Amino acid sequence: MTGMRITQRAIAQTALQGLNRNLGDLGKLQEQLTSGKVVSRPSDSPTAVNRSLQIRKDQAATTQHARNISDAQSWMETTDTALTSMVAQVRRVRDLTVQAANDGGMTDAGRTAIAAEVSALRDSLLGLANENVDGRPVFGGATSGAKAYEADGTWVGVGSADGTGVVPIKRRISNDEQVRIDTTGLEAFGPPGGDLFTVVGRIAADVGAGVSVQGDLADLDVAIDRLLTAASTVGARAARIDNAAQVNTDRQLALTKQLAEVEDVDLPKTIMQLQFQQTGYQAALQATAQVIQPSLVDFLR
Amino acid sequence: MSTFSGLNTASTALWAAQRGLDVTGQNIANVNTAGYSRQRVDQTAMGGTAVPAIHSVGTAVDGGVSADKVQRVRDAFLEARAQLETSATARLTAEAGTLSQVEDAFREPGDHGLQSMLSDVWSGFSELSDSPLTRASRSQVLERLDVLADGIRTTRAALDQQWDQTRDGLQALVSDVNTAATSVADLNGAIRQATLSGLPVNELSDRRDALVLQLSQSIGATAVPRADGVVDVTIGGTGLVAGSTVTAVRLAGSDTADGIGTDAPRLVTQPGGSTLRTGGTAAGQLTALTRTVPGYRTQLDEFARSVATTFNAAHTAGYDLDGVPGQALFDDGAGGTAITAATLTVRALTPEQVAAARTAPAGTGGKPSADGDNADAFFQLSLAPAGLDASYRRLVVALGVESSVAARNAEVQSVVSAQVDAARESVSGVSLDEEMTNMMSFQHAYSAAARMVTAIDQALDTLISRTGLVGR
Repeated sequence: MTGMRITQRAIAQTALQGLNRNLGDLGKLQEQLTSGKVVSRPSDSPTAVNRSLQIRKDQAATTQHARNISDAQSWMETTDTALTSMVAQVRRVRDLTVQAANDGGMTDAGRTAIAAEVSALRDSLLGLANENVDGRPVFGGATSGAKAYEADGTWVGVGSADGTGVVPIKRRISNDEQVRIDTTGLEAFGPPGGDLFTVVGRIAADVGAGVSVQGDLADLDVAIDRLLTAASTVGARAARIDNAAQVNTDRQLALTKQLAEVEDVDLPKTIMQLQFQQTGYQAALQATAQVIQPSLVDFLR
Repeated sequence: MSTFSGLNTASTALWAAQRGLDVTGQNIANVNTAGYSRQRVDQTAMGGTAVPAIHSVGTAVDGGVSADKVQRVRDAFLEARAQLETSATARLTAEAGTLSQVEDAFREPGDHGLQSMLSDVWSGFSELSDSPLTRASRSQVLERLDVLADGIRTTRAALDQQWDQTRDGLQALVSDVNTAATSVADLNGAIRQATLSGLPVNELSDRRDALVLQLSQSIGATAVPRADGVVDVTIGGTGLVAGSTVTAVRLAGSDTADGIGTDAPRLVTQPGGSTLRTGGTAAGQLTALTRTVPGYRTQLDEFARSVATTFNAAHTAGYDLDGVPGQALFDDGAGGTAITAATLTVRALTPEQVAAARTAPAGTGGKPSADGDNADAFFQLSLAPAGLDASYRRLVVALGVESSVAARNAEVQSVVSAQVDAARESVSGVSLDEEMTNMMSFQHAYSAAARMVTAIDQALDTLISRTGLVGR
């Protein structure tokens, strides 16, 4: 006799092993379909897991960047609105000042009225200079206080009159990009002592006293120029932030897609595989049932 | 040659056929018995002249058949291979199981693993850099750090628990081994006595060999056949069973994972205390106890330490809400620096003490700075190419590779083992077709022998009753 001697038990064992393997594969496919994931533990595919961990980390970062960007946008909006209103109000101050300077026959009452209005505008400007987001003054730099300017116009933000010591407030809008979101009062309104509020205050006093305001006008023009520069800087930053928002959204979508490619099952493919596997399993069951049953016992009498 | 020798021959034939039927019956009865080796009657023709010589001549052809010996059909080479392969399969399966359990401890990839906790921490710090003055964003950072520390401690606890369970399992396995070894020795004794008295020992031998295979699986034992049907059982060259004497096995070494450096767990003989070179499940579990689990434990400890070092360094570079330099964020739970993954604890800091700012109060006119630059510096740690994320990822990927290699090895080895089992089954297994054929031939042999008796009976009847009637 050559070859292997085949016994009923050997056939049964081989059949059982085959069926077990079949069922195991079936189980794995079903697990993939029910969980929706191809990779559920590191040993399933170490390289895929490496990628998956990276993508998940990047996803968390981009989600956070989106929040940072939205926060930055609200700072930019607040700053921009404040600066725009201030430019309009300062223009009104300038008109009033010019009016007071050119109208030689102005009465004391007229001058007093103009002085009062200018003084009121100064207060309004100070109010706008203390605009805040979540309690933080947008023109105060890195101050932990609630105001950039006291009511009397004293600078209480962070930074010295000579422009040193300014601590920029930044937002991280992507992994490798930070954008400055604050504009200190020093930059937008000028150094303490020569700032917008001092100039406007002096104009109110000078108009009220009937003194020449020609020098004040020149100072005011410098202040207006500063305001406009600050507003355009803010505009440029806002555009950059909006752009970053778009990029970040795209990146979030791309990451979601990448994670799906790495982790998720290919549904049509897996379902097809499951079908094949099921067919194979049924065939194996049937064959096993037929092979195991007959032996010589069935044919002897 | 006597008158009745033909009857005698026929009766040995009847007996042999009957014995053949008995053995066939036994084989059929045990067709599904695990570890049963099919048996075969060794039939030998009797008679004939023992030593031919000049004066001792005979023409006898009768003598009948001897069917005393019933043999187990098995291949000693395959049995020895089965022991080796069973041992290797058990070892690799245990190793793959260990690594799979370690993978469970790390829970990656997913939303509950350390990577996701770490990402939450980075996001938390980035959030803090947005609003460094609000208490809520300060306290959420501390919460997230606490979740991370807790996650690391949980993972470490899972590894410790795995170590303890594996050691318990090994302890149970050792007592199983000792019981099985005692049974083997007892059976050895019984087999020797039965062999010496000429009694059948096949069933006893089957039982003993099944126990030896069980020992191969659990501790990598191999058997060496000795005289009188006895086997000696050895583990990596050290005797476990010699005839009917047993050497006990004992689990020695540290019973905590911390003590393995000086007193690694090992299996030793008792008495003697010499270390066994084990195989099988025991070897796999010892690898888990001395290498695999402690290895990942150490790596996790290192990760915990670098978490503490990195975060503490970054935190002390900043200033808190009161303008005070940041303190360490992590310690070992008792204020010390003996940090492991089991002791990593976030210190009891108030939200105000979180150092979000980078600028010293001196730089902002004596007031605490509201810049979130130090918080952002924390976030930037997540971008470092050799940072915490990268080293953790490396750990997980290495674990995945090791585990998938181990699983594949175990799979390949189990195929080899199945092939050897099939080969053994092919030699020793009962084939019903074969038994039915044997049954028929024994049945026919019996009928023929009975017919022989009838023929001789008739011949004798003719001789005794019908002859000598002349002259009556």
